[in-house]
Amino acid sequence: MAAARSAGRARDIRLAYLLLAPTLLLFGVVIAYPVGWEVWTSLTDLSPLKDGSAEFVGLSNYRRLLVDAEFWRATLVTVVYAVVTSAGKLALGLGFALLLARPFRGRALVFLAIFLPWAYPAGVSVIGWYWTLNPPTITAYAPFMGHLKFYVDSALGGGAWAFTSVMLFNVWRGSSFIAVLLLAGINSIPPELFECALLESKSPWRRFRLVTVPLLKPFLALGVFLSITSAFADLSNVWMLTAGRIVFPLVGTHAYWLAVKVGQYGPASALALTMGPFLLVVLLVLFRLFDRAERSAA
Amino acid sequence: MNPKPWWAKLGHASLVLLVTVYCVFPIYFMLVQSLKTPREDVFGNPFIVVNPTFENFEELFERQGEVRGFVGSALRRSYPFLDWLVNTLVIFAGSVAATLVASVAAAYALGRLRPPGFRWWRRAIFAAYVIPQTLLFIPLYQVVNTLGLDDSLLALLLIYPTMALPFCVWMLSGYFQHLPREIEEAALIEGASRATAFFRIILPMSRPVVVAAGIFSLGTVASDFMIASMFLLTANNQTVTAGLGTFDVALDELAAVAGVNLLAIPVMTISALFARGYVRGLTAAMVEGA
Repeated sequence: MAAARSAGRARDIRLAYLLLAPTLLLFGVVIAYPVGWEVWTSLTDLSPLKDGSAEFVGLSNYRRLLVDAEFWRATLVTVVYAVVTSAGKLALGLGFALLLARPFRGRALVFLAIFLPWAYPAGVSVIGWYWTLNPPTITAYAPFMGHLKFYVDSALGGGAWAFTSVMLFNVWRGSSFIAVLLLAGINSIPPELFECALLESKSPWRRFRLVTVPLLKPFLALGVFLSITSAFADLSNVWMLTAGRIVFPLVGTHAYWLAVKVGQYGPASALALTMGPFLLVVLLVLFRLFDRAERSAA
Repeated sequence: MNPKPWWAKLGHASLVLLVTVYCVFPIYFMLVQSLKTPREDVFGNPFIVVNPTFENFEELFERQGEVRGFVGSALRRSYPFLDWLVNTLVIFAGSVAATLVASVAAAYALGRLRPPGFRWWRRAIFAAYVIPQTLLFIPLYQVVNTLGLDDSLLALLLIYPTMALPFCVWMLSGYFQHLPREIEEAALIEGASRATAFFRIILPMSRPVVVAAGIFSLGTVASDFMIASMFLLTANNQTVTAGLGTFDVALDELAAVAGVNLLAIPVMTISALFARGYVRGLTAAMVEGA
């Protein structure tokens, strides 16, 4: 019996690897190899502009980054971008989710309205946003948008309007996703807990702070994680909404520019990899939070 | 409880209104733009359309091949919008299907079969979500070239699923992992194979979560702009996204917005139809497997 069971177990494990194979194959080709290539290239001086084979240059690409003012600027802008958009998305998303958590007339329709910004395909809605925020000069509302752009740019420096519009777009779309995620989170909490809280305390703020937030913590963490990663990876929106005229570079857009426009593969790879440690820390915090939730649930 | 005072009701209603307007306004604005005649675009009120017309949409399909008139050939390029639309639908459907098959298989392996170290597998797969594909374009280009998929839709079919897989595998495996063992065991004792037990019992049970994974992958695929415009170069091979991205003449503004809507409407309709299921699926995944 025990032998039969262990034979069955061995068969299960083989089947498991077989079922994992397609995913791992895709990851190997599309993620693992490219990441490996970037790590190796970041240690060389590979460039399409240079004849001959690439030479190993050690950590000099990284060392060069440390003294590059543009790198620090890009890092600062990226951090500001990630923090501001994540905070905006989370605040709005939580607000929307709490609004939807209790029944009212027309809730289904409001839910759909909140869901739409995320469901509207961003690959094209960003094109629509671009035309909306930077209309051709002939359209009826172009003077108004022109003035707005002028005021923002003169108050905060050139390119600020383009950057603001990237943030607005990111928050508009992201808050929709976070709202739906948190609504799902609220639905997963037994309603008795909220009823209990209602008897314990009259103050809605206290109930929110002491009951809703702790119960939602894993989902809030997941929301923050997804939002931060999307901010770091947010290349296309920046590219589209600023039409390639990037005044405020993010680490990602700066790396893209270095590689494609300047042809410096080595420094570009090093730059792209500098985001790794930050994301890894965020990831570890997230796993900790989820593990705790899992343990306390069990 | 005593009924709410009138001001609380009013506050709630205006909050709801504000939220709805905030969420829908940009979409409404683009819809209005796409229905305008060039005349109204210039002289009309930006927020409403007085004489709605479908001519921008028609133009998308008409501007194929030959150009009419001298001004036309100087200022207006032609584009195969119908091809773009077909390509996009093929890619979206193919990517979502591939993502679902791969992620359900992987999630079943991790959640039910539990090979040694399955927790670490699960984490490693989720961690892949951190890596932005857009930053890997140079090595990705090598991969795509080596496989001979340059300027081919198959390149996207390779890359898109990996963008949605980490989250989908993570969500589905969490759900599978917390389904009670007895559910399958009863069937296995009756003599059913693992495959039968899966297709007859587990899969039907987890339909909401699978729907959620599908909607998530559709949203991910539809949000890409960079990958499509990087890998698809010939006009006939492009998707709507990549194609519209090449519009940058001010004259094409209305047609571009119309094209945006033409793709957005089916995607939004599908998402809206499954919206309830999406929330239910996310909830199920969170209750069972957070």
